[in-house]
Amino acid sequence: MNAIWLLMGLLVLSYLGSFLVGQHVLRGFGLPSGAEYVVLGFVLGPSVLGVFEPSTLTAFDPIAGVALGWLALVVGLDFGFVGSRRVPLARLGLGAFMALATGCAAAAAVFFSVARFVPALGRTDRTLLAIGVGAASAETTRHAVLWVTQRYSATGKVSSLIADIADSDDLIPLLLMGGAFALVPQATSLWPIPFYGWTIVTIVLGLVLGLVAVLLLGNDFRLIQSWGVLLGTSLLTMGLTARVGLSPLLATFAMGVTIAVISPHREEVVAMVRPTEHPVILPALLLAGAHVNLKAAPFLPWVAALALAARIAGKLVTGLVVRAASPDARGTSPLLGLGLLSSGSVAMSVGLAFALRFPGQVGHTVLFTAAAAAVFGEFVGPQSLRATLRQAGEIAEADRTPRPSFWPPRPSAPPAPPTPDQRPSFPGKGDA
Amino acid sequence: MSAGASPAGGPHGPRADHHASAPKGPLTHLTHALVLLLLFALLYAVTRAVPENRGPAGTIASIGFLLLAGTLASELTEPLGLPHLSGYIAAGVIAGPHVFKLVDRHAVHELSPVNALALALIALAGGAELRLEIVRKGLKSLAWHSLVQVLLVFVTMSAVFFAARRLVPFAAELSVSAAIGVAALWGVIAITRSPAAVLGILSQTRATGPLAMHTLAFVMTSDLIVTITLAIVITAVRPLMDPSATMSMHELQVLGREIVGSIAIGTTLGLALSAYMRLIGRQLILVFVALGFGATEMLRYLRFEPLLVFMVAGFVVMNLSKQGDKLLHAIEDAASVVFVLFFAVAGAELDLPLLKQMWPVALLFGASRALFTWIAAKIGSRLADDPPVLARWSWSGLVSQAGLALGVGILIARAFPSFGGGFRALVVACVALNELLGPILFKRALDRVGETEAPPSRGSLPSLTDRS
Repeated sequence: MNAIWLLMGLLVLSYLGSFLVGQHVLRGFGLPSGAEYVVLGFVLGPSVLGVFEPSTLTAFDPIAGVALGWLALVVGLDFGFVGSRRVPLARLGLGAFMALATGCAAAAAVFFSVARFVPALGRTDRTLLAIGVGAASAETTRHAVLWVTQRYSATGKVSSLIADIADSDDLIPLLLMGGAFALVPQATSLWPIPFYGWTIVTIVLGLVLGLVAVLLLGNDFRLIQSWGVLLGTSLLTMGLTARVGLSPLLATFAMGVTIAVISPHREEVVAMVRPTEHPVILPALLLAGAHVNLKAAPFLPWVAALALAARIAGKLVTGLVVRAASPDARGTSPLLGLGLLSSGSVAMSVGLAFALRFPGQVGHTVLFTAAAAAVFGEFVGPQSLRATLRQAGEIAEADRTPRPSFWPPRPSAPPAPPTPDQRPSFPGKGDA
Repeated sequence: MSAGASPAGGPHGPRADHHASAPKGPLTHLTHALVLLLLFALLYAVTRAVPENRGPAGTIASIGFLLLAGTLASELTEPLGLPHLSGYIAAGVIAGPHVFKLVDRHAVHELSPVNALALALIALAGGAELRLEIVRKGLKSLAWHSLVQVLLVFVTMSAVFFAARRLVPFAAELSVSAAIGVAALWGVIAITRSPAAVLGILSQTRATGPLAMHTLAFVMTSDLIVTITLAIVITAVRPLMDPSATMSMHELQVLGREIVGSIAIGTTLGLALSAYMRLIGRQLILVFVALGFGATEMLRYLRFEPLLVFMVAGFVVMNLSKQGDKLLHAIEDAASVVFVLFFAVAGAELDLPLLKQMWPVALLFGASRALFTWIAAKIGSRLADDPPVLARWSWSGLVSQAGLALGVGILIARAFPSFGGGFRALVVACVALNELLGPILFKRALDRVGETEAPPSRGSLPSLTDRS
């Protein structure tokens, strides 16, 4: 398939994505993590059917990179917010802790196992692999949580807590990735800075260009110029960081957070970019799936399995911590952590970013781990979360059977109106 | 008024205040200047730290930088009365491969696909701006101007080239017959105008008066005239260059099929676009991207003329459906980003060393072209009995040259490889001059006749304005 046809295919997917965001008739359909697009990409990619040739995929690497950076910007703009409500600091900390603990568990398991069983892999590569796997294993996708709460009309304290946690844990995988990229920057000859310094440089760059965006958006917010400003600043952020070998995703995330915190037009900016999230996610997931290469490394299957086991253990343990720490979660099942196993766009973004930055054994193992976590989480996460919410009494009896949202509401059990702390809709959140 | 026209006044209808902004004070300009300096410094530091980067990162950074620098430079040149285009081009020139090298040749080359999207948008918008009632009203004037401009400028500029051929390195040694042939080809270059520059200025100023509409209609139709003239001239001059060659009607036959086919496809596309906008009407940006990249590629493969197809499509949407304003509004949103990049890249592409080398000849041809364009406009206005505004200023929008002239230059270079390289270099040098000066002349003229006044606005954001 040549590049033009692939571009057309991605545009069609992007178009479908826009309908998934905007059209009520399609809401609730599809898998919460979008794992089906990863699988579709894998099947169409060079590893299986070969519809996408490696050279064609390589031609789309810049587009994939920009898509990932843009997604990180959208995540940054929404970080710490549910709708227009700020997530309480304690919950923000809880979400970050869960992600950090799970990510560290997976990273440690991979680091020590690889040191023992794959001695040929150098220390730097091993560290990169461990951090990458940790970053790809840390997330709970907010989309899956929303999918469950919306599909089953769940409302209550536990739903709200889990939504807040899922919304707050994106920082850690992006930070871990920023640290990993900073281990091997490309400008060391001119600027001999340690890796933590490069991580700070990544964040500062995002912050500075976020400030530039805020300044240019100004008091007189004009939609027609705002696209130019947002696109310009985000592309410059991505390009500069990528050129130095740093993480564009961490930088654009920092930029998004800066705009969200400082700009008086946060709501307008979010309303502008939110509808672009899904049209960008689906092609990115497809490209990520197409990049998956099972033969990239001999240790790939067992590293992924190990990371998955560590992720399950990490989520279970941190679920217990949440249960103990948060009064709202006291009445939930001890298996609360299983409900947080769904991973999606952020994990896949981390995986694809690693595959693009470190093509070869390290990058492809991280990408495969992210894909495996997304597919596995699809089978376990939503079901467990539904069970948790049902046990907490937050799913109405009549709503236990999933139903597509285009069915007319039944008179006996009309869907509950969303509480103020719920997102307006899945997954665009602003189209209700 | 056409079906799609808005009652909100002028052909731009409700979009009239979409672009305009509140007046800016010195503090705002100072802030913009400082931010521009900061961006230059950031990109400079990174390009010096990692100089040998040929990957996509440099291209991505270049896009972002050109978007921001172009926008900021346009804000800074605004108080001088210069068009935004000049700011975009200036940003590209300064950051480009011949000055600070922040945007290198590789990035400029990688950015060339943007041209396809920009030209698709320009052609769609150009076609959609040609409202039937305006074309009908100005048909007599348009016809006279087209005729006089084509004939007079073509003949006089061919003569100027022939007379000055000793100054042109590649033409100095040509035989008389070959020199006549090359001069005729130069005549074709001279009658090309810049729809992109005109639409870029109108997009900024929201000008809707007689001068704006006349110029727009003229440059869009001249696009078609140039295509036809080029085919005729290439066919006619080939025997002059190569005595063994014979005049063949084959190229004209191909051209006829190309034009009729393009009009047919454009009509179909226009009807399909109208139906889409009426029935679905969402994600037009994605549709534009698909048209700009996918459809353009397919039309070129099938040997149709993409610009003509899109122009006809825009014309059909505006005049045969009620979706014209919606289309223009959507194009305007996309163009706000694409135009900045298109002209900034054009600035970065400007071959300054070549201009430095050929400036005396380029200046001679540029100045004489402007002079004969002015004379032709005066004669055309007299014959058409134009109102005073057109009689005085109708030439002002016809000086700009950009992508179309370069494209014609490339076609000629391919058709006549023996002197094509030198011919193309001369075209690049002349276009560089006209690209820099032409938009300024047109903007000044629009300002002088009072067609650029628009009320300030912050744009529209439906989801938020609906709440209030």
